[in-house]
Amino acid sequence: MTDDNDPMTDGGTDEEARTDGGPPATVPPDDETPTWSERKENSQGLAQLTYQYFERSRREDEDLRTESTYVERDVLGFPAWPHETIRNLAIASFFVGMLIFISALMPPHFGHPANPGSTPAIILPDWYLYWSFGLLKLNPLNPELAVLDGNILLGNEFLGIIAHGIVFGAIALVPFLNKGSARRPVEEPFWAAVGMTGVVLSLTLAALAIQNFFPFELDLLVTLTFLLPVLCGIITYAVLKTMREGYMYDLNRRYYMLRPPK
Amino acid sequence: MSLKKNDEMDHNAWLKNQDLTVIETAFLTTLIWVDKRLRIVDYLELLETMYYRANLQMPKSHTEQYDLDNKFWYWYPLYSLGSLSILAYLVAAVSGAMLGFYYSPSTAGAAAQGDPTAAYDSVVLILQDVQFGFMLRSIHSWAAQFMVAAVFLHMLRVYFTGAYKEPREVNWILGVVLIGLTLFFGFSGYVLPWKQLSFWAAQIGVEMALATPIVGEWAAQLLFGGFTLGQATLVRMYILHVFVLPFVVTSLIALHVGIVWVQGIAEPH
Repeated sequence: MTDDNDPMTDGGTDEEARTDGGPPATVPPDDETPTWSERKENSQGLAQLTYQYFERSRREDEDLRTESTYVERDVLGFPAWPHETIRNLAIASFFVGMLIFISALMPPHFGHPANPGSTPAIILPDWYLYWSFGLLKLNPLNPELAVLDGNILLGNEFLGIIAHGIVFGAIALVPFLNKGSARRPVEEPFWAAVGMTGVVLSLTLAALAIQNFFPFELDLLVTLTFLLPVLCGIITYAVLKTMREGYMYDLNRRYYMLRPPK
Repeated sequence: MSLKKNDEMDHNAWLKNQDLTVIETAFLTTLIWVDKRLRIVDYLELLETMYYRANLQMPKSHTEQYDLDNKFWYWYPLYSLGSLSILAYLVAAVSGAMLGFYYSPSTAGAAAQGDPTAAYDSVVLILQDVQFGFMLRSIHSWAAQFMVAAVFLHMLRVYFTGAYKEPREVNWILGVVLIGLTLFFGFSGYVLPWKQLSFWAAQIGVEMALATPIVGEWAAQLLFGGFTLGQATLVRMYILHVFVLPFVVTSLIALHVGIVWVQGIAEPH
């Protein structure tokens, strides 16, 4: 671009760089390839916005790096070889060893062949699907959801499927509802309580799935299925609220020892 | 744009001008020969960059900086649950591949209702005749149980340490998808031996699908091969269990771990 010479393809002056006379070259020489900043200026609309954003985020990274209060460490952390490798190998071998030991000790039961003609008295999935099976047994709740003339709104089985959707949806929504930098349960007793409610609910739903094993009435079991989790949530909330003051004091003291407030 | 070779690129002449030992000459000749064909210099450069990046001074982690380790080390085992579930997945994959040598997904061979089918018989063969087969099935089953347990506990750890928060929502949702797929993995494996409980678990699956409006019948046909259980159901569950799910779950796990790698582990503070 800064060359004084004419372009070479139309009989220019540069003898060295003469082609054997084809059509004008369509590939631009290297110094005519636009740089990134030129491309940014040439671009419009979405592309320009993209470039602008990239520049901003790069600047943000740079600022974060320069203004960081992080203390650099002189040595690398725990060495990957051999320390970390040996620790991981030890954990992995122990885990696989336990797996094989338990497999040898408690081989799974193998039942009778499938018979479409006779329904077994007890149908159960593996333990990890008990909660899901419990959700399918929520039909005692269904009449209470009815609005008009006591007609139920949904089939009993569809109610169970909707319950699955609600469970998975609620779990997926969590990060969009709970934001901020708090990490420990004591810092957010409410969300810890929600978590405990969920854990206990999955256990009580599993109990609902194996309802035949409980010697009391189904109504009571269904009530307990929803009452116990809420109760556990309230207890968790109360305990964490109580713990919180002393715990945060201790935590803050440690922060301030290293970084006294200005 | 001369087509003449530039003298600077004449590596052999450059080599001759140098005063080199035999070893150096041999090394350089080999290097030039390979590099001319494969341009390994680019890759060596990449390796060099990676080496220097790996040896950069790292910022101290939160636990290191505020000396929280004394309160904190007993939580560390909970941070290995993700890798333990991958480990169980690998064990299940290896033992499952070996079981696959002997298993046949077929409902043929039952003269009357309730007679053992070919699938059932092949599992009986594994249990009784195949060397080490009884242990193999036991390991496969327990590996599945371990994996599901580790995945559940992993989710609880992530929830209660707030590790799903702001930049990590996508990975949380990916994890929810992975839990669902893991459960479906377990379910499809539960159906394969075609024993009494397998059949009725699949029956519940079909009924669940059929109870769903609009997409239900389509889903029942796609996953179970029809509205009643039979050969089609077994083959579909088999293909899902040994072909579709392994590919999908393995690539999603790779993505899940890759995102953790990029974003770093969320430490509680």
